[in-house]
Amino acid sequence: MICEHCKQRNATVTVTQVQSGQKVEHHYCDVCASQFHPFHAEFKQEPVSIQQLLSNWFGSPSWQQQKVGEKQQAQPQPQTCPQCGFTYKQFLKEGKFGCPSCYDTFSEHLPKLFNRIQAGPQHIGKMPGARSNVYVIKKQIEDIRKRMKVAVDEEHFEEAAKLRDEAKELEKQLQFEGGDVS
Amino acid sequence: MMIESFLERATPIWMSVEDDYSDIVISTRIRLARNLDGYRFPLAFTENEALQVEQAVTHAIKDSTKLQENYSYFAIKDLTSLQRQILVEKHLISPQLAKKELVGSILLSDDESTSIMVNEEDHLRIQCMAASFQLQKAYEQANKIDRILEKALPFAFRDTFGYLTSCPTNIGTGLRASVMMHLPALTLTGQMNQIINAMTRLGMTVRGIYGEGSENLGNVYQVSNQITLGKTEDDILADIQSVAEKIIQKERHARGKLMEKAELALEDRVYRALGTLTHARILTSEEAATCLSNVRLGVDLQLIKGIKATTLNECVVSMQPGFLQHYAGDVLPPAERDRARAEMLREALFQENMSKPIIGEKGEGSFDV
Repeated sequence: MICEHCKQRNATVTVTQVQSGQKVEHHYCDVCASQFHPFHAEFKQEPVSIQQLLSNWFGSPSWQQQKVGEKQQAQPQPQTCPQCGFTYKQFLKEGKFGCPSCYDTFSEHLPKLFNRIQAGPQHIGKMPGARSNVYVIKKQIEDIRKRMKVAVDEEHFEEAAKLRDEAKELEKQLQFEGGDVS
Repeated sequence: MMIESFLERATPIWMSVEDDYSDIVISTRIRLARNLDGYRFPLAFTENEALQVEQAVTHAIKDSTKLQENYSYFAIKDLTSLQRQILVEKHLISPQLAKKELVGSILLSDDESTSIMVNEEDHLRIQCMAASFQLQKAYEQANKIDRILEKALPFAFRDTFGYLTSCPTNIGTGLRASVMMHLPALTLTGQMNQIINAMTRLGMTVRGIYGEGSENLGNVYQVSNQITLGKTEDDILADIQSVAEKIIQKERHARGKLMEKAELALEDRVYRALGTLTHARILTSEEAATCLSNVRLGVDLQLIKGIKATTLNECVVSMQPGFLQHYAGDVLPPAERDRARAEMLREALFQENMSKPIIGEKGEGSFDV
């Protein structure tokens, strides 16, 4: 295919435009394509801010906004952080949270976000000293409960009872360290 | 200590260490972001909350017997704009903290290697610096302070998300590790864009030392991690370590190639830069940064002898607008700053470069007719 503009070089770039709801495709060579306004506009843009990134990923594109607006009316009111009054929409706008409780309030949205901008949704690094004790105990309890289930399934009730006592002991310790037992 | 003590020194004591990496790596910085549970982040809190956070932090530091360093406290609102600017130029506070009108303060260790920013974007930003390429050393210092403070302060932490921060780009470890590198040969040979692209794919960022938009000023770049969640602190440090080592290797290779293929051109370039710095009467910060970079390259490649890297480090800091005006003791319009900058650099480099100046300040008068 030959470039629509210079009608000399081979067309290597396809530009898709949406004009009055209809897709129109143009084919240009790389020299002509690089001279056209839409490309220059893109290069000249300021580095994308974190707010823009978040809105792009989790907000809706402008052509969808009307539809989303309609949908939202039917849905229940968006969650609001009880400590600072931030809504998820506000977070998307600011790119920042209002307080530590926002993380609890919006926790269901966050793994998806962290999967995109971080190495994963789960913290695996250092924890505050006291917390680290709680964490270790919780892990131990989880492990004992798993073993207990296996023991019950295999009808080793004596062993299961022993494990239950061990777990109770650890739960007491956990309460002492200030962690919740759930 | 009084604020003046921190403003006088262009380069702090910790900078004057030289090791195998000093030809390329200028300094290493570790930053930990922490917040107190139960208080809104600085973006949303009231002045009263800000005050409570500040008191909690300053008390925790004052009360700790384990913090061996002595810390001086300054409220940002009590500092003049020039004093704030100098602290920014020395990288002791962030430009964002310097702009705070009501809240925000800083705790500075006497040797300036540690600065604790209070109520910047997060309640606490623990920043530790080390000369050259010493990630572990800087991290150990930051970790020690963090461990001490966590005993007195209720840090906002969740098992899933780690340390909670105002911006989701700092969540998890809250750790940002940065290595400041002088990369003139990679810039000269046009390899930096490729490296910056590769860094982004590896979850790292490369920026100029003076923040956004200063990417090429003085060929100094800051390489830092972008990812803070889903990796351990050790992983983050190991990643930065290996990436920085690769860049160092590449820069050394490029320097070697330049020396091999174009030694004369390179020598000409570095001596012209030295000539400009030791003789110019007007110097913009851009020109001064470029010339200092070239002279530094000349010193590192031993084309220029007799100038210490530490002198050049000092020049890089003190040629900035805040420092120049502090030394002049007055507010200087840009044109005057360019004159003062040229004078300061002449004084700093002339004596060191030439034991017997050919044309000295005093000698100039004798050419009058």
